[in-house]
Parts: sequence; C-alpha cells; structure tokens
Amino acid sequence: MTTMTKSLSRPAGYKTPWEKARPYVYILPALIFLGLFTVYPVIDMIIRSFQKWNLVTAPTWVGIKNYDYIFKRKEFREAIVHTITYAIFVVGLGLSISTLFAVWLSKSTFMNNLTRTVMFMPHVIALISVAMVWAWIMNKNNGLLNMVLNFFGLPSLKWADSADTAMMSIIIVALWKAIGYNTMLIYAAIQNVPRELYEAADLDNANAVKKFFKITLPMISPQMFMLLITATTGSFRVFDTVRVMTHGGPGTATQVLVYYIYEQAFVLNNKVGYAFAASVVLMVMIGVLTAVYFRILSKRVHYQ
Amino acid sequence: MAEIRFEEITKKFGDKVILDHINLDIEDGSFTVMIGPSGCGKTTLLRIIAGIGPQTSGKVFLDGEDISGLPPAKRNVAMVFQNYAIYPTMTVKENIEFGLKNNKVPKDERERLIGEISEIVGIHELLDRKPGTLSGGQRQRIALARAMVKKPKVFLMDEPLSNLDAKLRVSMRTELIELHNRLKTTFVYVTHDQTEAMSMGTRIILMNKGVIQQEATPSVIYQDPDNLFTAQFIGSPQMNVLPFPDEKVRYGFRPEKVHLTNEPGQYFYTRKGHIVTKEMLGSETIYQVRYEGNSVMIKSLEDSFEQDHDVYIGVKKPNILLFDEDERRIRPDDARYEQWMSKL
Repeated sequence: MTTMTKSLSRPAGYKTPWEKARPYVYILPALIFLGLFTVYPVIDMIIRSFQKWNLVTAPTWVGIKNYDYIFKRKEFREAIVHTITYAIFVVGLGLSISTLFAVWLSKSTFMNNLTRTVMFMPHVIALISVAMVWAWIMNKNNGLLNMVLNFFGLPSLKWADSADTAMMSIIIVALWKAIGYNTMLIYAAIQNVPRELYEAADLDNANAVKKFFKITLPMISPQMFMLLITATTGSFRVFDTVRVMTHGGPGTATQVLVYYIYEQAFVLNNKVGYAFAASVVLMVMIGVLTAVYFRILSKRVHYQ
Repeated sequence: MAEIRFEEITKKFGDKVILDHINLDIEDGSFTVMIGPSGCGKTTLLRIIAGIGPQTSGKVFLDGEDISGLPPAKRNVAMVFQNYAIYPTMTVKENIEFGLKNNKVPKDERERLIGEISEIVGIHELLDRKPGTLSGGQRQRIALARAMVKKPKVFLMDEPLSNLDAKLRVSMRTELIELHNRLKTTFVYVTHDQTEAMSMGTRIILMNKGVIQQEATPSVIYQDPDNLFTAQFIGSPQMNVLPFPDEKVRYGFRPEKVHLTNEPGQYFYTRKGHIVTKEMLGSETIYQVRYEGNSVMIKSLEDSFEQDHDVYIGVKKPNILLFDEDERRIRPDDARYEQWMSKL
C-alpha cells in the first residue's frame, strides 16, 4: 500500500538517489577488484615506463628516454620482428593444421578418439618437463628428427643450436604443444554442426571442399575467431620455449619481446624502465591487433 | 515426373533390421504418404530414395533407371528436412541458389528460377534476409523453395510440418496439396500424423517395424484395412477390438459406426452396456461403454445419453471387421467369415 501511494505521488521516471545509485553499489565489489588488480597495475606499468629504476633506489622521471633507448637498439627491433614471425607461423600453421586434423578425425571412431586424446597430451604436460625430451629429439648428433631426415637422405640440421633453424625449432615445439588443444576445440565445434546440413549439401551437389568452406567453416567461425584471438595474444607473449630451449640465442636469433623484457628486468643490471617500456609496446601491439581482428573479421563470424 | 520402385530393400544398423525386404512401387505423380509409429523405418526408406542413407541390400529404381549406387546429387530428387536444414550462414537467396551454383547453372537462369520460385512460395521480400531472423513458417517456405528450384523428379519430405504450430500446420497442409496439384510431380511424404496422411495423401504406405502393413488410398486404408495394425493405427479414437470368448480371433468396429439407443434396436450386433464416461467435444460426443467385461469407445452425434446410465449399442454387419489369430483380416469372401460372424 505504501509503495503504491509513493509511486502515485511522484512523476513517472523519477528515481530517488538511492535507486539511481543502487546498481552501481551492487557491482562495486567487482569494480574495486578489477580496479585494484587489473586497471591499477596497467596504469602503474605505463607510468613506470617513463621512469628510470633499478628495483632498489627510488625511481626518477626520464620522460620518453626509455622508449627512445629501446627503439634505437637493434635487439629490440629484432625482437619485434622475431615475435611477429613466430606469431604468424604458430597462429597460421597452428590453426590450419588443427582444422585439418579436426576435420580428418571428426568421425567418432575408437582410433580417432584415441588419436585426439594423444594429440591433446602435450597441452597438459608442462613444457619444462618435456624440454629434455625435445633437447634429445632435436639433438644435432643423434636426435630423432635428424634420424628421420637422414633416413630420407636429407642432411642433418643443427636445430636450436644454429641461428638459421633455432626459430623454426621453437615454432615446431610451440605447434606440437598447441595443435592438440586447438584440434580438440575445433573438433567439438564441428560436432555441433547439424548433420542434415551436410545431407542437404549432398543433395545440392556440393563437393567436400565446398562443404568445408561454405558450411563447416562459417558454422565454426565463432570458435575459430576465439582461437585466433587467444592464439595470437598467446604467441605474442611467448616466453617459456625460448627460456628453456635457446635463451634467445644463438646470438639474437630467437630473441622475442617477452624474453627481451625478462632480460632487461632480471638479467642485465636491472634496467627495469626499459622492461616496462617494452611491456607497454607489447601491450599496444596486442591491443591494436585484436582491434584489427574485430574490425576485419567480426562481420564474417556467424553467431547463431 | 517419376515413378519409384524398391526391390528387396533391406537396411540394417549393425544387427538391427530397420527395413526388411521392402518391395514397393510409388506411382508417378502421386502424393504418397509414408506413415507409421516412430522407428518403423519410414524416414529410413525416404533417405534411401535420397541416397543419404544407403540401403544395406536391394535396389531402387527411378523411372526404370537403377539409382541404387548414384550419389544424392545425381538422382534428380529434392528433399525437405524435418528441421529444414537451411544453411544458417547464408542468406535466403544463397540458400536457394547453392544447389544451382554447384550444378553450374548460368547466372541469368539462376536469377530467373529464383524469381519464379520465390513468387510461387511467397518469399520474394525475404531473399536478402538471414534464416536466423525468420519464423518457422518462413523457414518452411525457404526449404520448399530450395527443393523446388531444382525442378526435381521427386520431392521427398520428412515430417516437414511437425515443427510448425497447429494453425500454420493446417494452412501449410492445404498449400502443399495445391503445390502438388500444380507441379504434378511425385511427392513422397513422411509423417507420423494420421490426419496429415489421410488429408494429403493420394496413396498411403503404412509401415511398422520395417515391414509395409498396407499400401492403398486413404479411404481403403480406413474402410478396408488388411490387418489389425492398420485398423488400429488409423482412426481416432482407435477401432474397438474385442476377442471372441476363449478364442484368438478378434472382431472390431469403429467408434463412429456404433448406434446408441435406449431400447434394443434391429442391428446385427446388439449389446446392452453401461456408460462409464462421456466427453462432449462439440459436434460429437465420445462415450465409453462397458459390457461383458469389455470397454468400447463410441463416437456419436447424439449427446442425450447420460453417464452412469444403461444403453443399447448396435453395429451393422458390414461394419464389423474380423481378424484372425495372426492379426490378418478375414474378409467376407473368406470361408471362415460366416462361421465367425455367426458366433456374434
């Protein structure tokens, strides 16, 4: 009764201050959490990229000197190029090979299910644990890969020990780790495509290639788009493979952005300001790329 | 236009026999409805015609040509799926055009066909829309248009109306009949709905457990069933079937063939019963009457009889059907007919 008189006695659309504030009060805990642990660290990172600091003494403001320094250095520019190269191969090959496997293994037979499970295993194993295995597989003297190459009459490679093949070696390990996971996700997406669509396509005289590009791919585009974004951001943040296998070498052959940041901050005389500046550059690159993806591809992604 | 012939068609999934040595002719230009309870094999048979679920053994002929081994696209058939199977990522036009493009139909010919068909089906203004924004009835039309545009010899339809609401279903039923009259093409239509089968079909194929029970016109199926299954499957409420005392032979009569009277009438079959329930449905009333340990349903235009009262039921001789111990019909020309009738 009281609410009724209340609502009658005031103009439509009028809200008390408490009613206006109420929604914000409800989301306040989440906002505080986000602000404290996500927004603040990012802002702090940006601020510190304009400071000179060695982790011990008080930081001093240096303006854009950090950026000026890193962009003038060849290693940093190389690190960007290497990171992009790595990302192109890992994302491009990773997604296309995974899609091929997912289509190939899409019939649910015992062998296919087993194969997918085995392919998924690298994803659950920590990379550090298998570093030794890969060190043997890629051993330049008696490694498995060279044995295979020799078997086909091809010369041995030095893999991670040579500047020419080190990046390729890292990409191979990254693909080995990523393909099983991608295949699993794409496989699941393909399973959700209604069977009748393919039957209708059979009646419409569509061949396998047409069926893939006109039905399967558009139907799994949301999952593919998600994978593309996560795979790209993941590749730009590559670190563990480099740290374990090559330490950025030989020379600077596998120097990538995050490894560069790590070295500036923790290996070379605590040049933390450079590390922060490089981190901001990395963040901007990933942000721009993601925006570009959304801009170009979101129209072609089909949501049910 | 095309006639379809099945020769010894058998379909197994593993050890399970879905279709058991089917031999059947589907007439050219007919509206043939395949009906039966779920799992009876009707959809399987339809998919065999389409070539999307090949038979285990046996042959299919279309206009005398053996199409058993042909891929679906080479069979000159089109199908409307139960859930329409419209490509959700393509516009309506692209959906209709997809098959034409794959068949390398030239562009102006495609445009002409799409214009013509979308006019007939009434989807002209929808051509640039995505299927996700359309209603069930509109999708149904698109599925029809996609099938029609290929000018197939045979239309296959797998429960195409089952996803529509009741009202739309009735109006689409009429439209499909009109469409069939206009195209004069062979329609093969699968349904589990006897009203659809009776109202649309020129021929009905009634199936159960992978075997054809009867193939005939709707009125023959209804009036002159070959066996007990057919007699009981078609008709609502279903036919009353009662056993001869201590025998395996049974007799039956349809609910609407029973006359209710307050005094015993001059009928071949007369019994005194007790009305247990009464359902007034408007133009007709359904009574449940119990007598001699039997319970029968009676559909009457008369609603003056009251529940919990006694009543006389009467059935004329031609309206009583006999079924032997194997559930096959005993027709009047059968030697056993009079012998069993006399026991009533």
